This record gives sequence, structure tokens and C-alpha cells, in this order.
Amino acid sequence: MLNIKINNININNKYTSILYNSYNFNNDISSLLNYNATIIDDLNKTSINTIPEDIITSFNCDYLLKTKDYTKIDEIKINILNNIILDKDIYVFLNVLTYTDYQFKTKVINYLKEKNKTIINYTTDIEEVLLLDYLILIYQDKIIIEGLTKEVLLEEKLFKKLGFNLPFIVDLSIGLKYYGLIDNISYTPESLVDKLWK
Amino acid sequence: MEIAKLMENKEPSFIYGIIGNINLISNYQNYSLVSYYCFNKTVKEYINNSKISQALKMVLLDDTYLNKTVSELSINEIKKVNLARALCQNKDYLVLDYFDKELNYQEKEYFKRLFKKIATDYHKTIIINTNDLNFIWNIAHELIVINKEEIKSFSKNDFSILDIVNKPPIIEFIDLLKDKNINIAYYKETADLLKAIYRLKE
Repeated sequence: MLNIKINNININNKYTSILYNSYNFNNDISSLLNYNATIIDDLNKTSINTIPEDIITSFNCDYLLKTKDYTKIDEIKINILNNIILDKDIYVFLNVLTYTDYQFKTKVINYLKEKNKTIINYTTDIEEVLLLDYLILIYQDKIIIEGLTKEVLLEEKLFKKLGFNLPFIVDLSIGLKYYGLIDNISYTPESLVDKLWK
Repeated sequence: MEIAKLMENKEPSFIYGIIGNINLISNYQNYSLVSYYCFNKTVKEYINNSKISQALKMVLLDDTYLNKTVSELSINEIKKVNLARALCQNKDYLVLDYFDKELNYQEKEYFKRLFKKIATDYHKTIIINTNDLNFIWNIAHELIVINKEEIKSFSKNDFSILDIVNKPPIIEFIDLLKDKNINIAYYKETADLLKAIYRLKE
């Protein structure tokens, strides 16, 4: 049992998204430093030389070896790769995956899941919450709702009231269900297409 | 990339969207570059302008922020303070570098309206650098995609941009339908796609 403190609340789930709006996560970070955790932000610059080549290749980042003129996104990717190769128990992403493309962020999450690591992803990108199975919604520094991602996302009215949208596929599913075209919500494009056109 | 060079021969008083893995720099006096700058002073000292209250209101903050320092602000608020400062500077070109990160949906919609108003009513040129096509698709007069040194421009209704940028989830979904030989057009809004699917299934 990890008992990680997020916003002074104990969280025990292995794969947690924290969807927030204007949140100062300094207190959470101080608390997380008590664990064998690595905190990944968009400020640290790290070297590509410390990343094994097979990792660089498997994350489709070979182009980074051919240049030294890195952009902000390149530096974020290098920093993420440098952190995920560390042997830590907990990997905390401070809204950095949002700068990367879908394929990259999916690979990062799957890589850590395969190694059975705990993942905490602070994000403002609603699409990212579908990558992890537990969701905490923070608004004006308070936890408004938490629970299994698929269940929390059904609170459509709450999300809209607080100014958040829903992931595209959930939003579309809710509309299609309202029109009677499907019976239940889909969380992946493939499953929704299958439901509509078997 | 020097943003002023990119904007050579572009019509002023419009919104331009930039998508590309690039670093923007600006050494020209008539450009304000809004990025995630941390500052050492209070908000009041940092902005240092008589119109500060008005500017803070425009970026969804208020006078309670005047005496705050960076350590008391979230990243979202720091970015908004930087935008407020740029608005006070009142330069011809406003460059927003990944400003959309840290904003929720409602705030994104608000700032889209604000940028349109600044371009239309105050004749400013707004340049928005992002990796999220959704944020600029409907408001940009022109979309500029930069891939290494290659620069391509698209009008906002030119769907061929989808061949060279990361596709938004709605487009990925429509592509899946097209793979199943379902005859459907591209849409930018979920509500429009929903209606199209309903018509197809009727």
C-alpha cells in the first residue's frame, strides 16, 4: 500500500491521472519526495548521452541523435526518457506528456506499466486521462471528485460546470447514446466503430 | 526561429497559428513573446503599468494577484500574468508560445474569443505556437506548419494540413470510419460529426 498524498488525500491507485485547472502542486511534490519517486517537469534539461540507444529507437526518437539544436519539445522528450530509465517506484509527470504526440505518450505509459511502476500524471489535457485507470479532478485547489476514470467521466454535468470538456470519444459516445444509436459508452475509437458498424 | 522573419509579407491584424517542433525567438521591439517566464518581483512590480487591473481582468485574474510572487502562483497563473504584461506593452505583434497548455476547455474558449477581439478591434497580429491543432483550427486566418526548415501554409479550411500534423482525436476517429469504407466527410466539431453519423445510420 503506497498511501501517496495528493492534495492531502491518500491515494493508493497504481495508475492515477490528476486533471487540474490552475493548481500549484508544490505541496504534493514535497510529499512525493518522501518516496522513491522521480518528478518529471518541463524545466529540467538532461543529456541524450545518458539514454541507451535502444530506448531512443524504441520511442522513435532517433532524429534526436542527429542534431544538437534541440527545441523545447525535444528537451522534454529527452528529459522524460532520462527519467523513465531510472529505477524508481513512482514516476510523476507534471503536465509534460501534453507536449508530446499521442504515440510517444502512449509508449511511455505502456513502458512503465510493463515494469509494474506507479504512475501519477498531472495533466490539463482531458484526452490523457484515458491512459490511466484512476482519475482525480482538482478545481481551485480542491479535489472535486475521484474514482475509476471510466466512472468519473460519466459525471458529464460536473465536468462541464467546472469548465472541463470530456475526452472526444466519451463525448461522442454520450451523444450517440442520447440519439439511441449505441447502448453504452465507449472509451476507445475502435470499440465505438465496432458498436456502430459491426 | 526568428518569428519576425516568419511573419514577413504576412497581412497584419490577423491570427496566425504555428504548428511545429520549433523554438520561437523574437528580438524585434514591436513583438511581445508570451511564454512561461518566471519573474523575481511581485506581479504589480513585474507588469508596472497603470492599466494593470484592466489587463489582469482580461486574462481572468484580478487585483488580489497584485502583491503575489511566482512562488504563490500556479503555472497557469504565471502564464496569464505574462500575457497581462504583454497586453500592457501594447505592441503590434503578440506571440503566444504554448499558451494553451495549463488551460481548461472553458478558458481555452475564452482566450480564443479574446485573441479574435484583440486582432479585430485593436488591429494586433496574434501568433499562436502550439502542438494542438484544435486550439487554432477555427480562429487562425492561416496555419503555418514548420517541419525542420520546411515551412508550409494552409488556410483554416484546408484539410490537407492533416497529412503533415498530429491529427486531433476527431480526425483519427473519422479516419477509422473511412477505413471501414463509410462515406463521411471531415468535421472539426463533435456536434457536427454526431449529426453526420445520425444521418448515416437513419
